[in-house]
Amino acid sequence: MSRNKRRDIDENKFFGFAKSYLSEAFPNPQRIGCPPEGELIRMAEHPSEQDEEISDHLTGCSPCFNRYMQILAKLRTEPI
Amino acid sequence: MATNGFRVPPRVSPIDRLGRDIDPAVLVAAEEVYDRALEHGVRLLGDPAVVVDTLEQVAAAVSRLVTTQASRPDDPCPIKNLPGYIFRSFVRQINRLKRKQVVLVNGNGDGEASQPRWADPSGAFEIKILVDECLAVCDRVARDMFWRRVQGFSWDEIGKTHGLSGHAAQERFRHALRRAQARLGNGTRSGVIHEAAHRIEKLEPGT
Repeated sequence: MSRNKRRDIDENKFFGFAKSYLSEAFPNPQRIGCPPEGELIRMAEHPSEQDEEISDHLTGCSPCFNRYMQILAKLRTEPI
Repeated sequence: MATNGFRVPPRVSPIDRLGRDIDPAVLVAAEEVYDRALEHGVRLLGDPAVVVDTLEQVAAAVSRLVTTQASRPDDPCPIKNLPGYIFRSFVRQINRLKRKQVVLVNGNGDGEASQPRWADPSGAFEIKILVDECLAVCDRVARDMFWRRVQGFSWDEIGKTHGLSGHAAQERFRHALRRAQARLGNGTRSGVIHEAAHRIEKLEPGT
């Protein structure tokens, strides 16, 4: 197996790891401090205008993180 | 509720079960989140002893980070909210233990959870800290790159979003990762973070 292949697996592992725990570790059932969905969409579509508070929030709120991942996935398949 | 000055007797040991010292400031912060952590941990794992032990191990790990930071007064990204940082690290570790517990229960015929490998220095926890630290040191652009890469965007796609080439985008992210590595590298026990970051650094541009 080539070294490049091995490196790809390492990268997948790192980001896969990040995705799995950011998506589960912060349940936030009461949705404390969650931004409106429109803000997440705006952040995905216009990253240069993103609000750092919202970005910070994503690091500690699994529901918002998961929603943001869905928004990005949709954006990837249906670019604006 | 603040417990400055330990108006109540300290509940977190200043040394974790692996014999690692806990920084006094971290100890105070750990005391501050103790009640919340205990409630959350017991709800998931059931055993208060395991929960407290986990909190102490997290505090010891964070102490190493604090010590590293203290030796670098010019660090541009100091930990701003130590209790919050500890609690988040604790929650991640508890969730990891819970997942392991579920696997062990499913694997045992008698249905009884075996001793969780909460002292396991396998490095998973340290990689999580690396991810956390990476997010902490990322600027706005690098963090957006992180989100998109996590979602499966190629570096070329990410670069296009920010008006960069795929390679330049990856370099930008690497820089943040190196900073995270630098902040954590000296304090890690097993060197797993070094290894993980080193591997990521060597990644070739995705397409």
